[in-house]
Amino acid sequence: MAACAVALYGQTPQVNAGAALLEDFSKRVAAYAAIHKKARAEVHPLKPTANPEAIEKYEHHLAHRIRELRKNFVQGAIFTPEIGAEFGRLIKQAMQGATGPRVQASLKHAEPVRLPALHVGSSYPEHVPLQSTPPSVLANLPKLPPEVEYRVVGNALVLRDVDANLIVDFIRNVIP
Amino acid sequence: MSFRKFAVLLFGFLGVAAALDLKLPKDDKSVRFAIIGDNGTGEKRQYDVADQMVKWHDAFPFDFALMLGDNIYGGKTAADFKLKFEDPYKKLMDSGVKFYASLGNHDDSNERYYKPFNMDGKRYYSFKKGNVTFFALDSTYMSPDQLQWIDDQLKSSDATWKICYFHHPLYSDGKFHGPDLDLRRRLEPIFLRDGVKVVFTGHEHVYERLRPQKGINYFVLGNSGELRVHNLRKSRDTAKGFDTDCGFGLIEISGTQMYYQIVSRTGATIDSGSIDLGANAPASASASAP
Repeated sequence: MAACAVALYGQTPQVNAGAALLEDFSKRVAAYAAIHKKARAEVHPLKPTANPEAIEKYEHHLAHRIRELRKNFVQGAIFTPEIGAEFGRLIKQAMQGATGPRVQASLKHAEPVRLPALHVGSSYPEHVPLQSTPPSVLANLPKLPPEVEYRVVGNALVLRDVDANLIVDFIRNVIP
Repeated sequence: MSFRKFAVLLFGFLGVAAALDLKLPKDDKSVRFAIIGDNGTGEKRQYDVADQMVKWHDAFPFDFALMLGDNIYGGKTAADFKLKFEDPYKKLMDSGVKFYASLGNHDDSNERYYKPFNMDGKRYYSFKKGNVTFFALDSTYMSPDQLQWIDDQLKSSDATWKICYFHHPLYSDGKFHGPDLDLRRRLEPIFLRDGVKVVFTGHEHVYERLRPQKGINYFVLGNSGELRVHNLRKSRDTAKGFDTDCGFGLIEISGTQMYYQIVSRTGATIDSGSIDLGANAPASASASAP
């Protein structure tokens, strides 16, 4: 009982701090999603089309408008150092125990990619494959709105705008 | 028409018919389709496979084709779509064949807006043909939302056949990638619980049919354009493998039987056989005709 109380007492502040950081992250992501939605409304949402050029233009125009609307398109605007550290903890947690080797194998299996450099606000290069993000990692990270997704790029975790194909933010060296 | 011309045409037809050793029964009202994976290179091998598909389509008129991902490699301009999809499959599309794509790691998620891929703007989706429901998944991003979606969809489906297809294989003896163990851990329990019997995947640039794993039949076909020669390390789980040329698959589903024939770039039959749901068929199987 006493040991349990100590354990709980010991964990509570970290859990609360973690929850607060994730709440902060969600707010930052929601703010980005609002910009995305505004930009998308301005460039007109894309409907399925047989014209690939229309898809290309949509992606390009959407990315351009988001860049114009977003003032603080800098690394760390969403993944602040504190939030980044919390994500590091969550990813490490997702790869603990028996899950670890499985996730590592999946990362290897997924055709690991290396980008010469990551730049917030730039497009994810079309010739570079999208490395899949292991489901066990995704299950342990905060849920995202449909406008963005998590992508593993080498040892970095990237927040990517799905339709605009933009690198919204990233954390370096967070994937063990 | 002169006798000579008639004879040339006749022997030409017989020659093609003889070369195409169709193993599929062509039952009335069966569901017929093709499968291709890792096809979108725009290179000669893709075109050869596409030409072969046209030949076989004459003998086995399939209505649609499943795409197992890596639909468009490299650039994604209009010229790329033309070179890597529209041109090679023009004859098939002109014949009314529809393509249903899933996304691979070389695809842009915005391909979901490309109408000829029939994804209706969705990264994962389902559609029904006769007594079969197909579930196209995005294995590059298996989020909790998608896992919940596939579980709900499979549970609520009363189809005789529930077929899932996506890019990354849960089982594979390919040397380059191997199986995606984390994906398997998440998807396999759902497939087992919800009655999936057949799974098609790509990613490995070879062909492999695995012995049923916990009752599920896995096909890996990632060589409809790309190819990794001698990249299959066959194991006791390998029922059939082929890693020396490109190919595609032809499938026919008739009642509780699924027939398959895998064809190489040169038209040779690599693998063929059937899967019988038998005692595992759901109650709705008796009313299987579309």
